[in-house]
Amino acid sequence: MSERTLPSINLSLCTRCNLCVSQCPELALIMANDGPTFVDLITCSYCGVCEELCPTGAIRAPSSVNWSVS
Amino acid sequence: METDHINQLPIFAGLAQETRLDLARRSYIRALPAGHTLLLEGMPAESAYVLISGEARAFRMNREGRVQILARFKPGDPINIISLLNSDKRNRATIEALSPVTVLVIRSADFDALIARYPDFSNILLHHLADRLAKITDLAAGLSLFAVRARLARFLIELADLSPSSSGWTQDEIAAHIGTVRDVVGRLLRDFEAGGLIQRQRGQIILLDREKLIQAARE
Repeated sequence: MSERTLPSINLSLCTRCNLCVSQCPELALIMANDGPTFVDLITCSYCGVCEELCPTGAIRAPSSVNWSVS
Repeated sequence: METDHINQLPIFAGLAQETRLDLARRSYIRALPAGHTLLLEGMPAESAYVLISGEARAFRMNREGRVQILARFKPGDPINIISLLNSDKRNRATIEALSPVTVLVIRSADFDALIARYPDFSNILLHHLADRLAKITDLAAGLSLFAVRARLARFLIELADLSPSSSGWTQDEIAAHIGTVRDVVGRLLRDFEAGGLIQRQRGQIILLDREKLIQAARE
């Protein structure tokens, strides 16, 4: 997965509850006119908190699962 | 009669040439897009499938929309065999394509005819059913005997031990596999990370300590 990948937000499922914006530990989300938006590609650490908290499942942050190579 | 599509499926490797020819006559190939619902739970079972390419999943959903994944299919896996063999001939689960898929389709009447005529075909299905029964038994035991934390540890080990998958896993999808909800998965992943069992990087869950994860899977 690209270093610059962001979680995806399905705005048709989003209720604008603001939970993702208020709880993001990196302050990587803002509430724009059409819904939550990532401020840039760098700030988001892809921690998955927004995906975890979204009450409608509008945010997806898929991860592959692998063993450490070291 | 071309049997190329039959020959490329390992599950049919043991079939006699006569069986292959009849199976080829009695089946056809369909290509379906990602997200397509192949089968709906409770509807009459009309066909069996064998996945030729892509990924699909079997699940059940309750009235609140909570999903339990029952199986994830990869190329070569048969689909809906149990439903066709069951006396009520109803689909036991909903099957959804997770990616663009190509499937071999065997209609119910042809499926019954193949079973009646070819013991080698029936034998393959018998082994498949034993495999499915073992997996469903493991799933039932996991859901009833182990805590969510243990189920998550076990699931992560299983995923990492598989060959790399093309698709990533959302917390929702993991939750649907281990019989819980998304926020519990999120909390447990943070707990595993704090305990040094895993590390989360952008788009990756990296398993760091097999011994600790196995221990967690037994608790």
